[in-house]
Amino acid sequence: MATVTVNSLTFTYPQRKRSVLDDLSVTFPGGKFSLLTGVSGGGKSTLLRLIAGLTPLPAPNTITFNGEPLTEIAPEKRAATVAMLFQEPSTQFTMDTVINELRFALENQRINPAAMPAKIDAALNFIGIMPLKERSLMALSGGEQQKVALAIIVAMDSDVILLDEPFASIDPPTRLTLLQKLVALCTQRGKTIILADHDLSGYAQWVDHLAVLDTGKLRLLSTEQTQRRFAAFTPEQLRLTHVTQPNGDLTVRLQGEHLGIAQGKRQLIQPQDLKLFAHQATLITGPNGSGKSTLFRALVRLGKYQGNLTYAGTNIQKLSRKRYAREVGLMFQSATAQFLNVTVTEELDLSRRFGNTDYFTAQRVQDLLTQLNLADHAEQVIYSLSSGQQKKLQLLCMLIMAPDVLLLDEPLKGLDFASIQVVMHILTTVQRDLNLTLIMISHQLSGLDELITLHLRLDQQHLTYEGAAK
Amino acid sequence: MNPSLKLGLIVFIALEVSFAQVWTANVALIVVSLMLMLINHVSFKRLLYLTLVPLFFSSTLVWSLSLRGSASPHFLLVIFTRLFVYVYMGGLFTQTTEPLTLTRSLEQNAKLPSKFAYGFLAAFNLMPKIKTEVATIKAAAMMRGQVLHFWSPQLYFKVILAAMNWSDQLAAAMTSHGFIEGAPRTHAQTVPLVARDWWLFGGSLLLVQVALFCGLP
Repeated sequence: MATVTVNSLTFTYPQRKRSVLDDLSVTFPGGKFSLLTGVSGGGKSTLLRLIAGLTPLPAPNTITFNGEPLTEIAPEKRAATVAMLFQEPSTQFTMDTVINELRFALENQRINPAAMPAKIDAALNFIGIMPLKERSLMALSGGEQQKVALAIIVAMDSDVILLDEPFASIDPPTRLTLLQKLVALCTQRGKTIILADHDLSGYAQWVDHLAVLDTGKLRLLSTEQTQRRFAAFTPEQLRLTHVTQPNGDLTVRLQGEHLGIAQGKRQLIQPQDLKLFAHQATLITGPNGSGKSTLFRALVRLGKYQGNLTYAGTNIQKLSRKRYAREVGLMFQSATAQFLNVTVTEELDLSRRFGNTDYFTAQRVQDLLTQLNLADHAEQVIYSLSSGQQKKLQLLCMLIMAPDVLLLDEPLKGLDFASIQVVMHILTTVQRDLNLTLIMISHQLSGLDELITLHLRLDQQHLTYEGAAK
Repeated sequence: MNPSLKLGLIVFIALEVSFAQVWTANVALIVVSLMLMLINHVSFKRLLYLTLVPLFFSSTLVWSLSLRGSASPHFLLVIFTRLFVYVYMGGLFTQTTEPLTLTRSLEQNAKLPSKFAYGFLAAFNLMPKIKTEVATIKAAAMMRGQVLHFWSPQLYFKVILAAMNWSDQLAAAMTSHGFIEGAPRTHAQTVPLVARDWWLFGGSLLLVQVALFCGLP
């Protein structure tokens, strides 16, 4: 059992003025499950990486385990003291198969080879993934990879387990299994668990103290405050007043016949008929990892699907890739995936050169940049912008392209309240002016009311239109 | 045969072959490599691929050299067979050696720093992810009206950016799994380096020397 103490820790990234963590002090009690929350970009990952010893500490003695400073712990004992499970499932393995990765971790700890098989089997059995033992890691789903990552931490027997948004791309049943295993590690084996997540649903029965990280400071809430916070966290209330069932007058733009989506062997969306309508703004909601993004990738021919998909009546596989890409565009969830150039101006110029409309004059683009607070960054390198700025630029680039159908995968992710208002205003105006077809995935629901006219809900592997009949 | 020693042997022979001009020795090496590949059940499709690709390149090379007129037929024959020696020996090595066993052997027998050994292995295992990334970049470019080909610098710029990001994540994950640069480790599976490996190594080298010597004009 190890108690993690952070003593007046201030941390600033090199070449940044604002500090991410500001004179932060907190104690994470040993053998307890602590949940860390706060806005994205608020420093949760930074704090976890510092505790894990992955980022060098600005001053010694700022982080201690049972009173012993992190900097004093011998490197070969680090992994037995603290281990981390990362947000991106696929880039946390060195080896090819599950068993080899487990061996690798145990070899690093200088475990006697004769003792390894027993430890490996015990860890796999504890997480309940014995059948995956000989499987190739890259062939596993994200949820399975996270289970393997947890099994490795169990095998290494680390006292403190840190998890950085581990459920970001995990489906609800797997999330529940993983949470139960984590709680068992706490209660049965006395492990200290610190988990960072901004989605607070499903934690109420297990977490005693919620830690809130805000503007570099951290507050540990009391049990009552924590329960109140959980009770208040019902996923944002949907108030979409313009949403109705699609009626017969609407034009079908994209149509799926027996359209099913699978990831590896796991079926995400059962084969169903699906219609997506032209000149409407459709919102798709559903739990994390239920297959929304995978559906989008299939719609732009980046992923496999079962059944038939047609665009304006033609099978999308029969259309030329180049033409189809100009008609159906995708704003990727990760902003950097969209960019092809180096500076903001270059990126916007590229979109203006190939855009489908002359609606976006130089003057209009300048106005939009000003509204989005990006006008001063025109010559800046894209990769040095903050994630929120990148997101806004990405949206602008895709709007200027003005494809007939624009798919938006979490366009508001990581934006602050003021930015969301501006972005939604721009989206609504442009959609009306150009009569675009927008299909949007979003967990963030505030400010969407003005725009959204149709609402598709993905639940129990099935997509259905919500709302009353017109 | 021990993977590290096998690698050393093949590199050494390849080096010798590139200086010696003995086509009979080249043919002997080709025949031996081919036989060993057949014994090790390398698929017919793979063998065909390993034959057709060098056939194209060596034919064009010989053709262009004979057009220029100054090279002797003996030299052309040497050049023609030499390319096959390289490809067949390379094929024999890659088709009969597991990357993981090679890594373990390099770490345990050749005392290569584990940082290189495992860094290489992690990158190797990321191959499928790189493929997906390239498809995504191409699609993203097409949506912006640009067609990226495999020779487009922008494609490489983006792939390198993604790879740098992954390498940071991988390094963090390796550290989190207890890996420390230069620290001693135990080995779940040891790769043996026994007398038989050395005899094979020495014997093969000797045979190649004899063949080269006998074949000298």
